[in-house]
Amino acid sequence: MSFRRYLPHYLMIAPFMILFAAFFLYPILSGFYYSFHDWNGVQTPEYIGLGNYEKVLGSRDFSRAMTNLLWYIALTVPLGILAALGLALLVDSFTGRWANFFRNAFFLPVVLPAFLAATIWRWIYAPNFGLLNVVLGWLGMPSVNFLNDTGTMLYALIAVDIWVSAGFNMVIILAGLKNIPSELYEAARLDGANKWQQIVHITLPMLGPVLFFVFTYGLISAMQVFDKPWLLTGSSFASYGGRRNALLFPVMDMMGRAFGGVKFGEAAAYGFLLTVAIVAVTAVMFGLRTWRERR
Amino acid sequence: MHTMNKLRASIAGASALVALGAAGAAVAQDVTLEYWVYSDFAQGDALALQQEFIKEFTEQHPGVTINITGKGDDDLTAGQVAGAASGDLPDVFMNAQSVGAQLVEVGALSNLYDQWMAMPQEFRDQFDESALAGCMPKPDELYCLPYTGFGSLLFRNLTVLEKAGIDTSTPPATWDDWFAQMQQVKDAGMYAIPDETLVFNSIAEIYATSGDSSTWGFNWEDRTTRIDPEIMTRVLQKFVDMAPLNSGTSRNDQATKDLFISDQLAFHTVGPWVNPTYEEAAQNSGLKYDFVLIPGDEAGKTGGIRSYEMIGVAPGENQQIAFEFAAFITEKAQMARWATLLARYNANAAAMADPEVAALPLIKVSVDAARGAMDVAAPYFVDSVPSCYNSVVIDYASATADGEYTPEEGAKEMIAELNDCLAE
Repeated sequence: MSFRRYLPHYLMIAPFMILFAAFFLYPILSGFYYSFHDWNGVQTPEYIGLGNYEKVLGSRDFSRAMTNLLWYIALTVPLGILAALGLALLVDSFTGRWANFFRNAFFLPVVLPAFLAATIWRWIYAPNFGLLNVVLGWLGMPSVNFLNDTGTMLYALIAVDIWVSAGFNMVIILAGLKNIPSELYEAARLDGANKWQQIVHITLPMLGPVLFFVFTYGLISAMQVFDKPWLLTGSSFASYGGRRNALLFPVMDMMGRAFGGVKFGEAAAYGFLLTVAIVAVTAVMFGLRTWRERR
Repeated sequence: MHTMNKLRASIAGASALVALGAAGAAVAQDVTLEYWVYSDFAQGDALALQQEFIKEFTEQHPGVTINITGKGDDDLTAGQVAGAASGDLPDVFMNAQSVGAQLVEVGALSNLYDQWMAMPQEFRDQFDESALAGCMPKPDELYCLPYTGFGSLLFRNLTVLEKAGIDTSTPPATWDDWFAQMQQVKDAGMYAIPDETLVFNSIAEIYATSGDSSTWGFNWEDRTTRIDPEIMTRVLQKFVDMAPLNSGTSRNDQATKDLFISDQLAFHTVGPWVNPTYEEAAQNSGLKYDFVLIPGDEAGKTGGIRSYEMIGVAPGENQQIAFEFAAFITEKAQMARWATLLARYNANAAAMADPEVAALPLIKVSVDAARGAMDVAAPYFVDSVPSCYNSVVIDYASATADGEYTPEEGAKEMIAELNDCLAE
């Protein structure tokens, strides 16, 4: 009786559920299955228990990729949000044509193809005569090989990442800013609050849900970082990660194992570990949010 | 002599076409072949010529349709590996010999040996022996037909060299001559060379100035590197010596080409694919350059690497007609037209010897360069090279150039780590 009653509802969500099952659920479950097998993508998979997980977790590249990832997340997510918040506040302070101009200008890197962004930045970072090194030269500083010096490679990537992602986050934060009632600021001004106090006591608390979204989304994206380090280091399936693997990240390592080494079982185990980590981090984020709201 | 060669090549071509035509006549039903090529072969004049080859072949084989698709290097490999997994492989495709082992492992490549042996001797004799040997991991296994290729060249910016007071009428004959010129360029306030430690192939190019194919690549039987510690020590010393003279950019960076074009960089060791860019700059902005052989340690020895792209054929019901198409496009007549259009060296020795082709300056020097060069990652089609291999070579070369190791230490540690990498 109730099935019949809700049949139209089921039918309405069916297209999504079918696509979700085909392109999301099935790959995850089949990946989970293959992660327990030695499989080159073609021949019959051979069951090897936890062998692939042991290989992945015990490999030097995995430790290096995870260490790089932790540093990358720790720096790029908060810095990215700070940059986006700063830009959003700046754009919000303008009205009319200037607001549109700045919003579009800051959003431009988001729509730029990754290879183009990487090419631009490879030029900016070029040793001796790249834009950045020319500026350093004017300041009397020596040339830095940003993309080959293991001490600077991660920071060079983070700068590119912030440049690309800040525009996207800015638009979301800007939408959040527009939703804050202007009466709150008027009341604060009447009470003598300065601009900084308004930001700290009104803007940031009111932006809580938006910042939570931006933070969670940034965290998930950062865990899957691939195209920018791949392109900045000129990686290929034969060689990736840059000098001393300073820009090796889990998805790069996984792709290399799959298509460079044709070890799809190992790559599946890697992918599953990464999926579990992303789901766990997301669950913790939502758990923390719920706990905070209940308090 | 030329007439005899021409006659012999014509007979070979005609025999091949007759053999192909006879086999093709067996194809009565409609067949569609998927043909994947490098993306730069699927645009402009190169695409037009590929389409002409397709037209000629399909006219001889009624009922056959061929769809050509261009893909980037990594996309070719990923697509072929994924295609093998899903049973949806392209029928004929290009790729590099260096990824051949992966493709054999996933079953993307047919063993063409029997079909190859069924071809007329004259056809088989057209190919460069070393290029063909690269396709044959065992005497009765042939996984590809060698296609385009390269031997690395030394591109020289003549304006920079003249400014540095160097006589450009004769190229440097030995490494010592070349290095002395690099120092003169640096003394004149310009960059001598890109940082050759940043890319695996440029490290190999410099290694080849001292070593050769027998001391480079892999011993797959015991999974060890063939790199000779003494030679690598000498090569690492060269990187140390070149460190103050280089531009800091890699051989493949756009910035390197821009430095060369803007008369700030003297030498660029690279394949012939940069020539169209430099040729255009010569016409538009007056760039003065030439290309010569990379000098080795002694006069007469050359450095540089050689590598070939291949045409592979997938197993399956279209395998026979796909092989016929592969044989058609790698045959002398097509390869000579291809070489003339692109001014690019290829693995068809008969086409390279064609007087019209051999007269092209870039081809002429490329033939000599490939003859004296070192195979970049041989032997091919045996086992896939772990990604750590190239990284270890790059890491130790650049760390030694930076002074973190002495050349002796760098060579010793590099070889130990390469053996670990291969064993793992």
